Amino acid sequence: MIFITGPLFSGKRTFAKALFDWSDGELLEHAVLDAQDLVKNEENLDALADRLAAHPVVIACEVGGGVVPLDTEERTNREKAGRLACLLAARAETVVRLCCGLPEVLKGELPCR
Amino acid sequence: MLTLVIGGAGSGKSEYAESHAMKLDGRRVYLATMEPFGAEAGRRIARHRKMRENKGYETIERFTDVGNAPIPEGANVLLEDLGNLLANELYSPAGGGAGAALTGVCALAEKCRHLTVVTNEIGAGGADYEGNTLTYMKELGRINCGLAARADRVIEVICGIPQVRKEVKDVDD
Repeated sequence: MIFITGPLFSGKRTFAKALFDWSDGELLEHAVLDAQDLVKNEENLDALADRLAAHPVVIACEVGGGVVPLDTEERTNREKAGRLACLLAARAETVVRLCCGLPEVLKGELPCR
Repeated sequence: MLTLVIGGAGSGKSEYAESHAMKLDGRRVYLATMEPFGAEAGRRIARHRKMRENKGYETIERFTDVGNAPIPEGANVLLEDLGNLLANELYSPAGGGAGAALTGVCALAEKCRHLTVVTNEIGAGGADYEGNTLTYMKELGRINCGLAARADRVIEVICGIPQVRKEVKDVDD
């Protein structure tokens, strides 16, 4: 599994599509998008990470960089999103972070095409 | 030559960009895009003027349509910053809309010997935005990706430490 992370609108999906020469439809079919949103009402993050890691590509937006939310639920979900990202990165063969469309490989190697 | 410098609030991106542009030979122009609205903008502008003191910059203020800014031929230009320019193009009466910021910067790059653009990373604080804020974030992200693809050099500044994200070889200065 390749885990792709980075800020909002940093080019994560565009990068995944270019990497595998996927259409929008193929991206939806093969990749998990917005994994950070899946932590809501999810107690067992390890099990969630295991399930997600079965996909070839998982994409999550970095959400921990702003002010700590006042709302308890938002605060909890943001924290869980960060933890999930750590668990996904641990399971991934390759971890890539996007910054203004440019990939930085944080772990492993990109697949040869 | 086009250099893009990106970073979060208070990351040291301006200091890096200003000192980077200092190393270039020739005339130095600081293209300021922030409209001086209110006391806070005034303080920010004063702080940046202080940082540039004795660094040999001529300051040109230009809030929209930077492609037609009166740039002396062959000058090295530091544009600060893209986030303000986009807001002006989107929301000022004189603004040319979302596309005008990227078009303007690309046209400006053609006129400069070396253009350094300072931009903001605003997408790392969660995805729960809507309306105008989300539109603005999406447009800035799109412009950042577009300029990074075109740039010879892209630097991300993290707590004052520059990280090279892209460097095209055969860059002479």
